[in-house]
Amino acid sequence: MGINSRSHGKGRWLVPAMALIAPFIVSSAAAASAKAEALVSAKCGTCHAASEPGKWDRISDSRRTPEGWDMTVARMTYAHGVVLSGTERRDIVKYLADEHGLAPQETASYRYILDRSPSVIEHFEDEEIGQTCARCHSYGRIAVQRRTEGEWRKLVHFHVGQYPAIEIQAGGRDRNWFEIASGDVSQRLGKVYGLQSEAWKSWKETKHASPQGKWRLVGHRPGWGGYEGTATVSPGGDDTYRVDMRIKYANGKVENAKGSSILYAGHEWRAKLRQGDKDILQVFSLKEGGRELAGRWFEEGNDAIGGDFKAVRADGGTPVILSVQPAMARAGAKETLTINGVGLKGEVSLGPDVVVSKVVSRTLEQLVVEVEVARDAETGVRTVSLDGVSSDGALKVYRSIDLVKIVPAHPMARVGDGGGKLPKVPAQLEAVAYAAGADGKPGTDDDLRLGVVDAKWGLANLNEAAEKMRDLDFAGRIEPNGLFLPNEAGPNPKRVFSANNAGELLVTAAVQDGDRTVSAQAPLIVTVQRWNDPPIR
Amino acid sequence: MSMKKSKSASALKLGAIFLALYATGAIAAKDYLVTASRPNLVFVADAKERKVIKTHTIPNTSMGNSPITLVPSRDGKVAYVIHNRWESISGIDLDSGKEVFRAELSEGDIRGKAPFAMDLSPDGKELAVFVNPTRLLPGEYQVQDPYIAVYSTTGGVNAKPVRKLPTTRRVATLAYSTKGDTLYAYGWEMLKLDPQSGEVKGMHPWRSWQRDNRGEPDTLPIWPQWEQSKVFATPFYVASTDKPAGDPASLRAGIWTLDLEKDVVNYKEFENASVVLFSSVVNPVRRNEVYTVYTQLTRTDMESGKMDRVDLDHTYYNVNVSSDGEELYIGGTQGDIAVHDSRSLKKIGNIRTPNGADQVLTSLRVFTR
Ligand code: HEC
Ligand code: HEC
Repeated sequence: MGINSRSHGKGRWLVPAMALIAPFIVSSAAAASAKAEALVSAKCGTCHAASEPGKWDRISDSRRTPEGWDMTVARMTYAHGVVLSGTERRDIVKYLADEHGLAPQETASYRYILDRSPSVIEHFEDEEIGQTCARCHSYGRIAVQRRTEGEWRKLVHFHVGQYPAIEIQAGGRDRNWFEIASGDVSQRLGKVYGLQSEAWKSWKETKHASPQGKWRLVGHRPGWGGYEGTATVSPGGDDTYRVDMRIKYANGKVENAKGSSILYAGHEWRAKLRQGDKDILQVFSLKEGGRELAGRWFEEGNDAIGGDFKAVRADGGTPVILSVQPAMARAGAKETLTINGVGLKGEVSLGPDVVVSKVVSRTLEQLVVEVEVARDAETGVRTVSLDGVSSDGALKVYRSIDLVKIVPAHPMARVGDGGGKLPKVPAQLEAVAYAAGADGKPGTDDDLRLGVVDAKWGLANLNEAAEKMRDLDFAGRIEPNGLFLPNEAGPNPKRVFSANNAGELLVTAAVQDGDRTVSAQAPLIVTVQRWNDPPIR
Repeated sequence: MSMKKSKSASALKLGAIFLALYATGAIAAKDYLVTASRPNLVFVADAKERKVIKTHTIPNTSMGNSPITLVPSRDGKVAYVIHNRWESISGIDLDSGKEVFRAELSEGDIRGKAPFAMDLSPDGKELAVFVNPTRLLPGEYQVQDPYIAVYSTTGGVNAKPVRKLPTTRRVATLAYSTKGDTLYAYGWEMLKLDPQSGEVKGMHPWRSWQRDNRGEPDTLPIWPQWEQSKVFATPFYVASTDKPAGDPASLRAGIWTLDLEKDVVNYKEFENASVVLFSSVVNPVRRNEVYTVYTQLTRTDMESGKMDRVDLDHTYYNVNVSSDGEELYIGGTQGDIAVHDSRSLKKIGNIRTPNGADQVLTSLRVFTR
């Protein structure tokens, strides 16, 4: 029923990651840390007593991501009256995220909650915790924190103390919520997401790599397709960096991007760039001892639109194959393939039945070739190799597209604008083609994922109720590239019950494979605005 | 149950005649609606005239929130309402608008909040409120055991509880029996408490309600609207455990009632869950009829299970009924209280809230004067 969740408006959250990326003023890391420690003592110590220098009640008994710390510090300001300037907030968050953060592997399965991936269906790592907790907000919000059992229990007390309706809302009233959450579930939380970990201990002892240098990057932006490019990262002091990028999409679009980033806890890369004509935010992780930078970026204020990203050192010396575009080739076809990477030397091999007929162009970072695929080529993955480097499965050969799936599988869009404060939230859909595996049957575990393909998109009412309410006429429209745009928010006098423009649709993607059409369908739910949209949902 | 049916049906008819006589006899008596709206109004409307006749302001409240549960005294002189982020209760004199009663639930480092459950004893002397207290330490919240605070209505504007009764957590409805000798606390079960000691005298099962092929029923009983019939009613959903998930019959909807005079529970499962059912009221004259609202207005015959339904022009949360059982008043959203005919279910009028603001989760009550 959301009884309480609306009492604070949207303004509480700086735009996600915004708060996290502005640069610091002080110059040496040690000085910054000492200054931030003094700031925590001054701003937080009145309520959170210090047990020893650099350790405060509640504050030092948990670990969080930069977004997690920012949410907590924000709550201290709006709920407990702590007054902080923008710079103070950033300095405190930086200090706490460095000192009490998470190691790269501790958030690896939950990047989606940090990078705001749209329409993710969550998997509960722990069923008991999921059933009790992941009802009003994501499971991911929990899984990217670490606390002692006692700290988890205090969080449960906060929930009930702050939101007493929690016990009578759906999901709370079907069980003795408080007793369960403060009992068994706090214990489970302390076990599954406890404060101490080997991963964090050794990560803190590791000397962290700098992202400074030249990078070779690739990625995929749903709706536009694959891209490749380069980036230069130069130091700005105190774990901040200047970033310059140039990216080229498979559809021919080119974007330059420029901005700045901050590195938290030695690996959490948060950046804001002007990319093309949009401001975008990057939520990446610096991995592999500083040799890889990967994650998702999205448009500021429109996080349904964005792309995934992977970069490796362009100046590292080791050759790497990053991507092949397109990554699928049909038996009997002639194709132009672009291989992106670094240090691409020597003769290219694309595996059995794929013959290079011509090298169109080549640099150390990109090789463009024309290939012919044998008419009787077997469906399957191919290893792409050059001098000193190979990439298994970088290319897929297929005889026919046997199955198409719509991604995301459970898309959701939100009405917006219409005089209201919140913008529309679109849904970017893609059609992914598959070939049947060795068993010859599509829809089984051994299906081969070929890649994203063009489709003809269509919409219908999802069910009888939608038919009756004529959702199709009111909920929104879909563009040729699979971008679903919902309609305006607010009651619509043209609808029964003056209902808003929410609706339940069925989306169809029809993919042409030679003279066959292979189709997929998915439910597309158009719902109302998300009134409170914190950095971690 | 079926044995008793014919008998109680004739008793019902007698009751109807009696009530009809009473209504014509007491010519001066009129129905008034009393309710609240965002952020701080309590108002009275003349039901038949479709007109707001008094608008009062709740003093010293949080303007970012909306009042919730509201209980008028039987004589219609004072309305008690929970407000101020659920931390205060005010009694507003409905003639003068004066705050004649006020209880703060928070004190010192304890923050008390009253999430919904509140009722007035039938003699108007005591007000019972379910309170969730939290201890606010400098850097930590500690949830305390809830209690039922009992106030004397003569406590004035600095009222303190005259008693605190122990209670289970998660009580969403408190209701006095018509004689005032039982305080029903509806949480996991419908407990019967001694209003003096809080001792549990018995219960009507809810969570432990056992029926073949049925799971645990679910309801959200935060709607006190039983003053006309003296029958508490709440819509519920229940899983039909012998049906596969996805079968429309695997989730059933019904109405569960408790007669606050006779201490008798009745229920009727009347359809496969198909629409949202928010809150219900029992007709004081045709006592087998229950009306339920949300985006539809549904009438359920508690004897036959027969159901009639009309679509509404927008969403409604609460519903009440006139003393003659002929009119229904439905409200909650869009600053609008609609009047519907209880026979045809058609809309026959409406009343706007004084400031056009929504009632949200407050109660829509009727008194006769
Ligand atoms: C005016 C008192 C006050 C100040 C100052 C204050 N806090 Fe808190 N803090 C609280 C209270 C009360 C709670 C417990 C309720 C809650 O979680 O909101 C709390 C809880 C917390 C928690 C535990 C939250 C959780 O998720 O369980 C953390 C961490 C925290 N504060 C950090 C800080 C930091 C960092 C600062 C300084 C920027 C700060 N607090 C300043 C009052 C304060
Ligand atoms: C009834 C809804 C509800 C349920 C159930 C719920 N939460 Fe929350 N949770 C909230 C709300 C509301 C907030 C406040 C933050 C916000 O505005 O998003 C919150 C905040 C949090 C935070 C962030 C606090 C901080 O500042 O770091 C964590 C972590 C969290 N919840 C974990 C849990 C856990 C663990 C459980 C199960 C024991 C749980 N939640 C169950 C509603 C809920």
